[in-house]
Amino acid sequence: MAAPAASVLDDRLYQRLADLASADSPDRGPSHTDLRPAVEQALYHEARLLDERRYRAWLQRFTDDCVYWIPLDPAADPRTTVSYFLDDRRRMADRIGLLETGWAHAQEPPSRTVRTVSNVEAWPADGGDTLARCSTVVWEHRKDRLTPFASRNDYLLASLGDGWTVRHKIVRLVDCGGDVRKFSFVL
Amino acid sequence: MDALDALIQPGRVHRSLYTDAEVFVAEMEKVFGGAWVYLAHESQLPEPNDFIATRLGLRPVILTRDADGGLHGLFNRCAHRASTVCQAECGSARRFQCSYHGWTYSNRGELVNVPFVEGYPATFDRADHGLALVPRLAVYRGLVFGTLNADAPTLAEWLGPAGPLIDEFVDRSPSRRLQVRNRQRMVYRGNWKLAWDNAGDGLHPTFAHRSFLVLNERQHGGARSLSQFKASPDDTGMYGLDLGNGHMFVDQRPGLQQSFWETQRPVPGREWYEARISERFGDDSADVLEMAPGSMVNLSIFPNLLIKGNTLETVDPVSVTETRLHTWVAAAEGAPDEVNVLRMRIAEDFPSLGNPDDLEIFERCQDGLAIGEVEWVDMSKGLDHEAEEVSADGVRRAPVTHEGPMRGYLRAWLELMSADAKLTTARPGEASFEKAA
Repeated sequence: MAAPAASVLDDRLYQRLADLASADSPDRGPSHTDLRPAVEQALYHEARLLDERRYRAWLQRFTDDCVYWIPLDPAADPRTTVSYFLDDRRRMADRIGLLETGWAHAQEPPSRTVRTVSNVEAWPADGGDTLARCSTVVWEHRKDRLTPFASRNDYLLASLGDGWTVRHKIVRLVDCGGDVRKFSFVL
Repeated sequence: MDALDALIQPGRVHRSLYTDAEVFVAEMEKVFGGAWVYLAHESQLPEPNDFIATRLGLRPVILTRDADGGLHGLFNRCAHRASTVCQAECGSARRFQCSYHGWTYSNRGELVNVPFVEGYPATFDRADHGLALVPRLAVYRGLVFGTLNADAPTLAEWLGPAGPLIDEFVDRSPSRRLQVRNRQRMVYRGNWKLAWDNAGDGLHPTFAHRSFLVLNERQHGGARSLSQFKASPDDTGMYGLDLGNGHMFVDQRPGLQQSFWETQRPVPGREWYEARISERFGDDSADVLEMAPGSMVNLSIFPNLLIKGNTLETVDPVSVTETRLHTWVAAAEGAPDEVNVLRMRIAEDFPSLGNPDDLEIFERCQDGLAIGEVEWVDMSKGLDHEAEEVSADGVRRAPVTHEGPMRGYLRAWLELMSADAKLTTARPGEASFEKAA
């Protein structure tokens, strides 16, 4: 396996995340309806890749400077607080690699998931990117238990259309900071 | 509940310790009441009038700092009709007012106001109706503990040889103080002692964390995190200690072939922060970077504090078959910001990649323990060698894969469960406070 690329996470990137996390105020107003079909195409496709566990194909949709962040406290600066995780591309690849070892007990048997993506909104962002927001519920079935993971997700999409790519993905779990069961699949 | 001492035998322990609801009820009283229980870290309530909600076993507690800086363990229970008086997880408050009938308490626990007081008996005295207090509080290097047990030894005595090991952990910070930040909370469907067994278990990483070992070898090569458990852990010199009073220690440092930083799996931002530190600190940068990874030791303070990596993990029993773990991350006070940014990312690494496998296995154990006819859990590894390395202070040392530390904490468990300790509460102003270190 090729040596993983160096991390590109630096202070500038952290600042962009902090800005994105605080982008709730002031309200951005109604979304741009003309962007919505292309954003839905990307988000629905992503949901299907994850539910079908096509993790390598999923990872290929992320840019080299991507960040995949599941905060414990969405309002906190990730530089000074711990998150469930804040991954660059290298650690995303590790998360997938862990499942591929065949020894990840927490995924034996594997979870089956189905996720619903709704409340899709989109706005133009800096540098030609697109900011997208949606509400997501992932239903996980494993060992006779059905567990919901509800979140509001923020995406910074670097491109749309068939070649859609993701620069940032933030999963704000509604119960973040509370008693969340360990998730060993990709949310 | 069977006679307790029949449940713990040389090298084995009865399943009912993990499955019997009566045992659990007794534990919540005698262990999480009779022992010194970790409540919180002083850095979580730094200013006058700060408070943080915590628990002493199943008892909700508000740990407060009064206007003069004194610490108080207030039971979160209105003296009137028992409602909790504080709903926040932490904050700043001089008063706690019960939402039910408006009784109001100071952050020292005194009842300062009863609305519509006409009609109470002539003998009603506000001084008799303060919040109940944890009668004994004590602090060791910023760690705040409480006990209800009037007969418990001092905290310093209770910690014994674990004290200097706490010092070592804390003294990795330049200011020799920890700064506790936020926490992850996770739950598993299993008894709290499954987490406790595991904390002193140097035998499991090779198997339970095989996914993590294989991943690191494939992706990052070399002697990365946990590779010391790859082949024969006992040949590396790693060891475990039974420190007495249930405290346990696992030292992985002898297994490392490189520095902590070189051994650390590459976390997000590693390169940029390493370069920044190198620029700022030149020849000292290797020492600075060494503060970022975890301590490479696991220090467990019975019955509810697991110090590992850079985290303080508290074991919070919910029911006989449900447990909540709070993993509080500690920043190194006085260290460069870059070090503490790396600490945040490192504190997410094993917990999100390795711990799910631990929790899965705890649940598998709990499932297996459901079989009533198969009664015993084996913990005999190293039993014949237990007396070989005992130091003057009673600390028993053994190779890392031996199960001596687990047998040690169960001895402390049995002693607490069998004792007829006098558990009390205190009135405001009457609790004792020990500054152990």
